[in-house]
Amino acid sequence: MSEDARATTVLLVGALLVRLSIGGAYARYVRVGMGPWLLVAGLLLVALGLAGVIRALAAKRPAADPHGDHEHGERVGWLLLAPVLALLLVTPPALGSYGVDRNASVKVTAGDKTFDPLPAGRTAPMTLLEFDERAADHHGASMGSTPVRLTGFVARTNDNGGFRLARYQIACCAADAVAAVARVTGAIGDQPARDRWVTVTGTYRRSADGVPELQASSLTEIPPPADPYE
Amino acid sequence: MLILAAVALRPALTGLLGHPAAANWATVFVAITIQAVPFLVLGVAVSASIATFVPPGAIARMLPRRPVLAVPTAAAAGVALPGCECGSVPIAARLVASGVTPAAALAFLLSAPAINPIVLVSTAVAFPGHPEMVLARLLASLLAAVAMGLLWIALGRDDLLTSVRSRTVPPGSKPSVFLATAQHDFLQAGGFLVIGAGAAATMQTVLPRRLVESIAQPGPLSVLVLAVLAVLLSLCSEADAFVAAGLKQFSLTARLAFLVVGPMVDLKLFALQSGTFGPRFAWRFSLATFAVAVAAASLVGWWLL
Repeated sequence: MSEDARATTVLLVGALLVRLSIGGAYARYVRVGMGPWLLVAGLLLVALGLAGVIRALAAKRPAADPHGDHEHGERVGWLLLAPVLALLLVTPPALGSYGVDRNASVKVTAGDKTFDPLPAGRTAPMTLLEFDERAADHHGASMGSTPVRLTGFVARTNDNGGFRLARYQIACCAADAVAAVARVTGAIGDQPARDRWVTVTGTYRRSADGVPELQASSLTEIPPPADPYE
Repeated sequence: MLILAAVALRPALTGLLGHPAAANWATVFVAITIQAVPFLVLGVAVSASIATFVPPGAIARMLPRRPVLAVPTAAAAGVALPGCECGSVPIAARLVASGVTPAAALAFLLSAPAINPIVLVSTAVAFPGHPEMVLARLLASLLAAVAMGLLWIALGRDDLLTSVRSRTVPPGSKPSVFLATAQHDFLQAGGFLVIGAGAAATMQTVLPRRLVESIAQPGPLSVLVLAVLAVLLSLCSEADAFVAAGLKQFSLTARLAFLVVGPMVDLKLFALQSGTFGPRFAWRFSLATFAVAVAAASLVGWWLL
């Protein structure tokens, strides 16, 4: 790679990181807490690339490569343009229903955690993970008949008279995602299509096959949330 | 030219992403690349600072003169580098180039991603009922890193590292040295990171994790299964504890092997190492590290867990 090609590649990678972190699209790939670090890394790379471009322009001649004997090992740097191009052209979506049945789902077992009862009388919004954990704790005793509200995407339709609702937990990036899953039955009207995002309100019901079940009283389709993971 | 290609490619790529498996691959590929870049930038900044501001040989003089003592010192120094495995590769290469004995630099390379405070805290959070897991991870990782360093002293071939050792700092003013080394290190490591991320995303898409989990059984085989899984998944060392915590059907020792092997040997790390140190080094080093890490995890697991 020539000096200006090196500098331009670094500049492009940096600019893309800045764009992702400011635009919020980064939340599809990594956990939200990493946003500021992506921004800092992006700005540093932009500065490094800009300084390189300025230096290459100022030299006005192909500068002698300072690492002449490493030229072969550097050609690989062009590959960094692959994720840059992919993101500029198509922006891959957040993880969807494809992996839910193939990969591990959250495994909660009785006795993992114990919960205090939900305050009665108002709807409790909670993550799918908490719903699964509460369901495992004394068969959902802490939820009783208090209505809860869950948000996730449809992972499987036509599942024992309802559909599967799922949302991924990520610790660092989408590569370590694990799905929390529940079944939604009841007043759901026409089943929403796979991968559509919904918010459902309902009450916990014990199911025969161990998948925590929500007896829904209302269901709304929503646009995909800014942070698709829990 | 690039713009024309982009215009032509866009509909094809969009169509491809309509296929769920392709979309899943692309998301994981981009995710692994992006989460690694901040750590890579940190590693490159440290490496370029060493090249620019630290006189050659200064770090080597800070370590004990005898390699047998320098190895454990360097392995313990890994505590000070907060980050995951991608950042430590350029630093280790720079250490070798600046005259540190290769065995010590390699021990640092292996220990830093596994025993730094961020990784240990995330392990403690992921295993709330098992504080001994944190200690076991620290001890087993240190043991494996030191054992690999000593193994390198006994059997290692420094000739495999000549390209790194002969890497000289380019002449010039301090800012231009910093600029040139930072660019060079970032592009080299970054390019190989992309290869590794592609391989790991392919494994994640093609190989259902559920299949692996179905072969959980007591005994030594499960340790090996999770060690291989760690290599294939190529998780960041700050996140692997959360995945290990979810693999409840496996024994704690098997999950310890997952946590010890992952930060030392995985697909993206192999790509990074073969790019930085050369493929002939990376093959030998990765295979030996895999064996030593599994042994260390089994030993510590049998003792503590």
